[in-house]
Amino acid sequence: MLIAHSLKKLFPLERGEVCAVNGLSFRISPGEVYGLLGPNGAGKTTTLRMILGLVTPDSGYAEVDGVRTEDNPIGVKSRLGFVSSNDGVYPWLSVREMLLYFADLYGVSQKIANERTETLAKLMEIESLLDRRAGSLSTGQRQRVTLVRGLIHDPPVMLLDEPTRGLDIVGVQTIFQYIEHLRSLGKAVVVCTHRLDEAERLCDRFGLLHRGELKHEGTLEQLQSSTGRQHLGEMFVDLMRS
Amino acid sequence: MPTAKFQGRIIRLCQKELRETLRDRRTIITLLLMPLLVYPLLSMALNRFLLSAGGPAEDGYTVGVSTEAEAGWLNTILSDPRSQPPAEVVASSGGNVAEFRVGGTSNLMPRQALEENLIDVAAEISLGDTSNVTIIAYEGDAASEAARRILTERLQWFKLREAETAAAIIPRFASTLEVNVTSVGEAKKSSMLATIIPLVLVLMTITGAVYPAIDLTAGERERGTMEALMASPVPRSYVLFAKYVAVVTVALLTAIANLLAMFTTLYFARLLPMLTGQPTFPWLTVLQILALLVLFSCFFSALLLSLTSFAKSFKEAQAYLIPVMLLSLTPGMLSLMPGVELKGPLAIAPLINIVLLARDLLAGTVTPSATVAAILSTIVYAAAALAVAAKLFGSDAVLRTSEQSIGSMLRRPLVTSPVPSLSAAMLMLALLVPIYFVVSNSLMQWLEANRESVSISSQLLLNAVALIVTFGLVPLFAAWLGRNQLQTTFRVSRPQPLALLGCLLIGVGAWAVAHEAFVIADSLGIGGLSEERIQQTMKVLEAWKQVPPWLLVATLALTPAIIEELCFRGFLFSALSKVLSPTRVIVITSLIFGLFHVLTGNALLIERFVPSTLLGLILGWVAYRSGSVIPGMLMHLTHNGLLELVGRYHESFSFLGSSLDDQSHLPWQWVAIATSIAFVGGITVYFATAKRFPATTLESSLARGE
Repeated sequence: MLIAHSLKKLFPLERGEVCAVNGLSFRISPGEVYGLLGPNGAGKTTTLRMILGLVTPDSGYAEVDGVRTEDNPIGVKSRLGFVSSNDGVYPWLSVREMLLYFADLYGVSQKIANERTETLAKLMEIESLLDRRAGSLSTGQRQRVTLVRGLIHDPPVMLLDEPTRGLDIVGVQTIFQYIEHLRSLGKAVVVCTHRLDEAERLCDRFGLLHRGELKHEGTLEQLQSSTGRQHLGEMFVDLMRS
Repeated sequence: MPTAKFQGRIIRLCQKELRETLRDRRTIITLLLMPLLVYPLLSMALNRFLLSAGGPAEDGYTVGVSTEAEAGWLNTILSDPRSQPPAEVVASSGGNVAEFRVGGTSNLMPRQALEENLIDVAAEISLGDTSNVTIIAYEGDAASEAARRILTERLQWFKLREAETAAAIIPRFASTLEVNVTSVGEAKKSSMLATIIPLVLVLMTITGAVYPAIDLTAGERERGTMEALMASPVPRSYVLFAKYVAVVTVALLTAIANLLAMFTTLYFARLLPMLTGQPTFPWLTVLQILALLVLFSCFFSALLLSLTSFAKSFKEAQAYLIPVMLLSLTPGMLSLMPGVELKGPLAIAPLINIVLLARDLLAGTVTPSATVAAILSTIVYAAAALAVAAKLFGSDAVLRTSEQSIGSMLRRPLVTSPVPSLSAAMLMLALLVPIYFVVSNSLMQWLEANRESVSISSQLLLNAVALIVTFGLVPLFAAWLGRNQLQTTFRVSRPQPLALLGCLLIGVGAWAVAHEAFVIADSLGIGGLSEERIQQTMKVLEAWKQVPPWLLVATLALTPAIIEELCFRGFLFSALSKVLSPTRVIVITSLIFGLFHVLTGNALLIERFVPSTLLGLILGWVAYRSGSVIPGMLMHLTHNGLLELVGRYHESFSFLGSSLDDQSHLPWQWVAIATSIAFVGGITVYFATAKRFPATTLESSLARGE
């Protein structure tokens, strides 16, 4: 469903350059939740941006549903849902207007967009907010609107970038439910996070990223046997010391 | 994407941007509240300014005296014919005699009343056999000082006439002086007000555009909606276009609100006659100024978006915009200076050209060439600014977290690319227009000044150098900046030998077609030659006789053939071909080619538009068919070369029985032969290049039974 193949990205600095992602490859199947894990600055966000076509890789490619980003960026974007912790809302539009606007951006017909808005609003419990001005929402409400926005075009692949950052316990719980929902729909999901405890509970498979390189990959059992450690946190401490 | 679906989507995108902006209270404040507050205040200030500018109020200057007796005495003198200025003096001041209203200042002394600005001038009078009058003005108040001067003069006239009466007893007194007055020239009504108004309108339009421009770009990034927007499957250019439409709309609404508020205020403050000379509401002028403001909004909105697209936050965007706003004020202030005219480089100076054009519209003194230059250059600047905005909006650089400087825009890309981008082509044109304008203007002025000392050969050489500097070096610089491969950018490739032959034939025949097109355009009224222009041309043809023919061909045929083909059918053609269909590329490049031939120095050679564009169309078709600029160069060389040689030796052709240098149609046999030659050339080019178009060759179409 989603393939990243030898992705590499260098960013120029004042002097020289920094390698944000170096030869990163992974593959995710439908219904699978993949945790792309790493400390801040490991290259997680850059990887997602390369898959989305927002950043052009220096080498390698990303492929979604058989379509490569470089060949058909618009086709790839329409197959991806994207939710980030930085996501904001349009303060002067109502929640419904904003959701329908994004549905339109993704080419969803108005009828289907209306139906989907109602269904997803019910699921994420934002029905009463639909006609409120988005600028007047609380952080938690805003987050739920953003999650609905990411699903409005029913994409086969979802990319979640630090979805729990800045959220309280209830907010984090909402994200967990959301990811479970995505899994039940058979979506391929990539979750980028530095919260390893959360990732352990959520993901089927993991990719441990450090300084732009994928150091370990596999299910929790596979990682445990290959590293000899019980928890992801311990594996990371080893990695960072190495 | 089907056109209807595309249009529907663009319209919905625009609707969303507009909805978002127009619901924002801050937009509404600049849009409506500002004009409602500013103009009444401004009109009060203007009223005071104009009234204190030396002229009296409608019912004359007010003179304050202490008592009714003094008022009576002064009134008697002022109404006495002996205090009236002589007819010559009245005539020299335009037939106007200032009126005075004399009155007591009740409980105040005249001096106090003057200090409290209740009267224009004070008079302290002591009545007696010889009455003594002291006239007091308020220092620095132009109206008060004028009143003092005129009142003093009136009293002096009275004294002089009294003296004349006394002197009448001397017989046969003859003056040694007779004075008559007359005037030359036409009255110019261009007032300060006519410049202030467009300037204020332009600045208010800028104010209206600033907030939405920041909010819809940098604001979007700051709110965190930009990334989600860029992740959606809509081309960045669509989103930017929708934002552009929203900014232009708000700028225009602001312009309309300001325009209406300003003219309504002027109307009710009775200041309109000072501006337009008529008391009625000048609907036509308002509409013309509105059209200029539309153009200006299109330009300035694009400029603002190109700057704000770069910024990552509201604060950063403001930091970029403040210098631009200050910079915009400087040319605006320049336009207030007397004697600044819309011509030369000022006609293409952004912002100032619109202010000056609006001023000329108000004063009714518009010149067509400067108007066209101002409008065209503003359109080019708008397109270039929009191209920059498209390049920056949501690009790699702005999504990144690392700091990026504005200088990175001018950094050359690391990888070479075969052809320039559309935005590079826009930037090239934006550079070319002012450089071409400045170079051709200064060369022309220099040649005018040194006509005696510079030989005609040197003039031709200088012209060729100017052509190389503008149309040659500017695209070359753009290609270097974009790290484009020169061969593919300028479309220099080995031509098909037969295509060369075909182009030679078209070149031989095309001049007759161009001549006919010119005559037809002339008869339709699309530019023609004035008697003066024909005389000039004859003079030029006469001068050419001193020039060796090879130099004529080298400077007026070979250089343009190479340089113009590389620029128009090379750089522009390859850049536009990336995004447009071949037909559109051919039409657009030939229109630009035609327009550059019209803009020559300070004059507009409108008559060159139709033939040049037509030639551009043929050259564009040849360039498209052959995939190379070289056949077009040969055709361009043959065409220009033949025209110049015929011009130089035109007298030798007189035996043919037709005058080659007038505006009449050629004999039909000539046209038929020339057209046939060109047509055969065209067919030759078509077949010579057929291999490049396997699916569209005549044979394959026939084979498919089409």
